[in-house]
Amino acid sequence: MAGILKDLRVLDFTRIAAGPFTTRMLADFGAEVIKIQSSKMEGGLESNTAPYFCAWNRNKRSITLDMGYSEARELFLQLSKISDVVVENFSPRVMPNWGLDYRKLQSVNKKLIMLSMSGMGHTGPLKDHVAFGPTVQALGGLTHLTAYSSEDPMGVGYAYADMISGLYGAIAVLAALGYRDRTGQGQFIDLSEYEAVCTTLGPSLTDAFINMREIGPVGNVDIHRHAGPHGCYKCLGSDRWCVIAVYSDDEWQAFCRVIGDPAIKEDCRFSSAQNRQKHRQALDSLIGNWTRRQTAEKVVKRLQQVGIAAGVVQNAEDLAADPQLVANDFFTTLDHPVLGRITTDTTPVKLRNNPRGRWKASPLLGEANYYVFGELLGMTETEIRSYIQKGIIA
Amino acid sequence: MGHNSYLEDIRIIDLADEKAEFCTKLLADLGAHVIKVEKPPGDASREMDPFFRAKNSSHHSLSFFCNNTNKHSITMNLGHTGDRSKFVDLIKKTDVLVESLPPGYLKDIGLAYDNLSQINPRLIYVSVTGFGQGDPRRNYKSCDLVAAAYGGQMYVNGSPLREPLKSFGDQSYYTASLFAAAGILLALRSRDQTGKGDHIDISLQESVTATLEHVMIRYFAEKVIYRRQESLHWNDEFVVLPCRDGFMNVTLLQHWETLIEWIDTEGMAEDLKDDVWRDERYRRTHRNHIVEVVGNWMSAHSVDDLFQKAQLMHFPWSPVRSLNQVLECPQHKARNFFIEKKHPDLGVTLKYPGVPFKTSSKG
Repeated sequence: MAGILKDLRVLDFTRIAAGPFTTRMLADFGAEVIKIQSSKMEGGLESNTAPYFCAWNRNKRSITLDMGYSEARELFLQLSKISDVVVENFSPRVMPNWGLDYRKLQSVNKKLIMLSMSGMGHTGPLKDHVAFGPTVQALGGLTHLTAYSSEDPMGVGYAYADMISGLYGAIAVLAALGYRDRTGQGQFIDLSEYEAVCTTLGPSLTDAFINMREIGPVGNVDIHRHAGPHGCYKCLGSDRWCVIAVYSDDEWQAFCRVIGDPAIKEDCRFSSAQNRQKHRQALDSLIGNWTRRQTAEKVVKRLQQVGIAAGVVQNAEDLAADPQLVANDFFTTLDHPVLGRITTDTTPVKLRNNPRGRWKASPLLGEANYYVFGELLGMTETEIRSYIQKGIIA
Repeated sequence: MGHNSYLEDIRIIDLADEKAEFCTKLLADLGAHVIKVEKPPGDASREMDPFFRAKNSSHHSLSFFCNNTNKHSITMNLGHTGDRSKFVDLIKKTDVLVESLPPGYLKDIGLAYDNLSQINPRLIYVSVTGFGQGDPRRNYKSCDLVAAAYGGQMYVNGSPLREPLKSFGDQSYYTASLFAAAGILLALRSRDQTGKGDHIDISLQESVTATLEHVMIRYFAEKVIYRRQESLHWNDEFVVLPCRDGFMNVTLLQHWETLIEWIDTEGMAEDLKDDVWRDERYRRTHRNHIVEVVGNWMSAHSVDDLFQKAQLMHFPWSPVRSLNQVLECPQHKARNFFIEKKHPDLGVTLKYPGVPFKTSSKG
């Protein structure tokens, strides 16, 4: 495959979302990503024809290995020898139990970069804790804070932590590659998804620490700047909403002109951003009376025309047809051998001088066994067939 | 040597405001030489909450502090021709420029990618804006609230009986900053091969949409328009329930037999012991009753007690922690996750998150 990372080979021993997102970023930019699967572990979200699998594993190859066999572990070692990067997201005990910790892999490939992505990191008292995205979102403070009130934590409606962790994984690997090229040194990278979530709450953590105060949820209020209004308002239609953020006095004047209600403009409770924040409930209810009679699209258009930050609360259907996303080529289709034509998002990373190459759909289970074990490792067809029969390549 | 020298030969000029400050901060933490260019009397992000001891002055912004560690700062007014020519001189010796100004602003003063790439063809020029450089919405104003709405994040957060809910903090700025950082590292690699720089166009909206995990996948595959459902995770596994002294995020459908055995040792499993509950489909369709019985049991226990025992049985349960609890977490302490730095003006030691990974060149 062409692309910036065309000379890079990545062994991908990851599952579900965080790890596969890291390796997908590398595959999207041309790396040869070889995903190691096994028919024993295939199923659910990791089934090769599950839409979830297809989304996170496009542009990759697939091989199968049953790691219960010493021959399979030996093949893994041989593959590490001819790879630049190994990414895994098992719990910290798994790779060492197979005798495949970084020390071992480095003994066959000194320049190897190994990224281990776990919930808690490979050290510390909680290292063996079981964690998924929602687990670390709760542990990191994001679930408590994403709520209307402290009595009713809501959290984020998806495994956001997996995405953040996946991004950090790609960044860590790419940075370590530059370092390897310069110094000849490989790296072991121990990434903690729990820590990844915490980095997105930096200023509030510092605030809690130095001001010794308890920080609670704020709903849709801006925690950084005095703004008013700053919230989400009901619009015409079923479950249709818009958001409006007014910061400066100029914006407030413009907002009052659009809303055209002298009672709001002249109300002294709303004379400054600070006052508007203080009398938020009264203001929000007046604005709600105005927005509920119009479509979200119309409210937003009228406000943006006078330079006010406003937005439509879009759902998945809106996003798929969003003129901005469509015009900027954010979605594409891929042809999958079993599922046919599937639609997927691309990537927000758009490089003008490196346009997107030809992408391919996610692989079927073990589709690259002959290529990887035959062409790359030099096994004969008979050997491969015998390994398949014994259940090693399976 | 470790990750703090990964990028030690890279020079970055930082014209980013709060939307992309974290991008250059992360690269600075990885060893890049980042020079922040501020317009006198200083960046607007110096005026952002939260402040140290509620003092609203440009030296007291904790958010500015957190998002600008390891950077250098110079002042320049790019509106003045004198400063602009100095800036262009600086660009000649620069690897990466990160900016988050409204689209067209830098073009109007002769500092577009097309201008600067002629002076320095190796320059990597990164623009982080609300909607990207393309129409129809390139000139729309944005902020974290607008990005969260347009990007699809708000619709899936909160209660179905209430208004959609934004994730806490400035999440769109963090995701956009991470995509931008990945883009920069890719462009640096490309430049090693071709000698040529690049223009990277990052949109807050796309960064949000790209990190919705299941939302677009399920829409494209099954036409599911996922709607917010309080703390219940989309796969109906995780949910937040109250304990005696706080909240836990728990799974109610997995590990069924172990869970019921545990509750039963305390005589509180009620009818959940019955065989009918062994069927996962039945559990899924009757989850309200499970929430009631398990919830009743949980409210008799402390968060820490349940956390410890559940994890011993490999349940992915965790407490719903506050930030003060995060600061005290023994895991963070053992891994030295927080960095403590004395602030030059405030004279106090501040604590902030480090990078979320540890590196070593030996196994």
